[in-house]
Amino acid sequence: MSVARRQRGAEAAARVGGRRTDDRLSVAQLLACVVARELRDGEIVAFGLHAEILLAAALLAQRLHAPNLTIRHGLRVERGAEIGPAAWTAERSSRSHELVEYLEAHDAVLDVANPSSPMRFCDVFLVGGLQIDREGSTNLIGIKSQDGRLAVRGPGSIGTTSIGTLARHVILFSGEHTTRRFVERVDYVSVPGWKRRAAAGLEGGPDLCVTPLGVMDFDDGSMRLRSVHPHTTVDEVRRRTGFTLRAGPVPVTPPPTPPERAALEVVDPFGRLAGVDLWPDGGRQ
Amino acid sequence: MSRAERVADLAEAAALVRDGMTVGLSGFSYQNPPMAIVRAIIRRGVKNLTIVSGPTSGIETDLLIGAGCARRLVSAGVAFERVAGIAPAFRRAAERDEITVWECDECIWHLALKAAAWGVPGVLWRGGVGTSLPELNPDLREVTEDGRRYLRVPPVQPDIVFLHAAEADAYGNARAAREAYLGRSFSEKALALACRGPVVATVERIVPNHEVVESPERTLVRGALVVETPWGAHPGGANGRYAPDLEHYREYAAAGEDRRRGDPVPYQRYLERHVYGTEAHEDYIRTIGVERLDGLRTARP
Repeated sequence: MSVARRQRGAEAAARVGGRRTDDRLSVAQLLACVVARELRDGEIVAFGLHAEILLAAALLAQRLHAPNLTIRHGLRVERGAEIGPAAWTAERSSRSHELVEYLEAHDAVLDVANPSSPMRFCDVFLVGGLQIDREGSTNLIGIKSQDGRLAVRGPGSIGTTSIGTLARHVILFSGEHTTRRFVERVDYVSVPGWKRRAAAGLEGGPDLCVTPLGVMDFDDGSMRLRSVHPHTTVDEVRRRTGFTLRAGPVPVTPPPTPPERAALEVVDPFGRLAGVDLWPDGGRQ
Repeated sequence: MSRAERVADLAEAAALVRDGMTVGLSGFSYQNPPMAIVRAIIRRGVKNLTIVSGPTSGIETDLLIGAGCARRLVSAGVAFERVAGIAPAFRRAAERDEITVWECDECIWHLALKAAAWGVPGVLWRGGVGTSLPELNPDLREVTEDGRRYLRVPPVQPDIVFLHAAEADAYGNARAAREAYLGRSFSEKALALACRGPVVATVERIVPNHEVVESPERTLVRGALVVETPWGAHPGGANGRYAPDLEHYREYAAAGEDRRRGDPVPYQRYLERHVYGTEAHEDYIRTIGVERLDGLRTARP
């Protein structure tokens, strides 16, 4: 990562809250802890390529309370990565082809529909989108202009649609918290949220949404602020969300505990989490 | 009579592609795109191809779109991971309505190929109900069975498939490198099994048949037409052989982005230097440089 980009990142993180202070690393560490607290022992957690905060979260959960958590990670495959291989221990710190030492199995196919098999795809799926809406639908397909035409073609739904529909638990994760990302209604649906699921005869919906500003859960199919991170305020979260967020009295997200801090030291000894996954004000696009 | 070898050169293999064909391309993200053959196809100037690549595809697809060879795309996504969240030529062509996207996700992509391999008219699948996929892709029809809603995924059948692998013998047994833990190879198998016509494997090297017989579990595809093409996946990586050349990806992505924003010169320059100006694959190797390529090797000595 270039120095300039790192500086831009630091500035972005400093702008996250009304107060000066937090650097990217502490925000990233907090998010890893927040996600880790949601992962249960014995579950299988899945997420995509290059999701270092989520990988750190899963490794943290394994150390802290979920020794039987299975991690299903879209592996990083490049050597000499432009961003350091966060969340790997020192022995595996440099050449990513050596990361295979961590693999126990390598599934070759996308069989995701049977939730009972010990070889099932996952129990918890962590997923993001170009847009996320009030009911927790995501969109990776594209963004429309005012006149309804395709203004931004997205990458495509990748693996999110079927896994996000069929997984027992879905946790939304976004490294950006802006009115562009959090919209009243997504322009296209890659993964359906609560009401669209109900209309399609599917039970449930996403459990949670984690961002650099706060943690949202769902009440009657609508996103609700569950906690705000220590470096920001309820007002800030609301201002940067494109729909009215329901909120009663909102607690502050508990900061990393001493055991979590100790586990972070092991999981990310070089503090590389600072460089990844986190663009709170959307500065990158 | 002796056993027939199934070996061709790159030009012969590229000559199998004609206007309007449905062409399957292997690879997953940065890994194992059959780039040498893609460049050869572009040099032939074929048009109106339907590309079936993925499940999530990358530069092999983007370059064919950028060079004006593709009209239609069957893929769950086109992106270069951290280098470009959305592949630039794909984005430009889709936004200008120059390509049609068969909107799907990775599971649906895979099921469409399975349906072709199995010879069935469709497969019912629960993923994708309640999403935009059936609205954007009329081939995915919603059906109700026993009170539950499904998408009916029809077969997608390539006319020809190109894949890149570490090795093959001269009889068309293409196989993964022993060290290839990181590579997903299901797209190669899914495409080959669904294919109506020839399957062409470009490989890093041709090995004696007895080596293949010693480890049959490494054979991915049999019956392929084999083209020995060292560095044939570059700038992509080849599982167990070399890592993707991310510097090259960045250069390509920047040129594509300039073009999308209205300056066609850098992308044209890229095509001239790496595609049109390299009549033979060896010329391409020279434009990259042997020293740089050696730096990408991952195999342990």
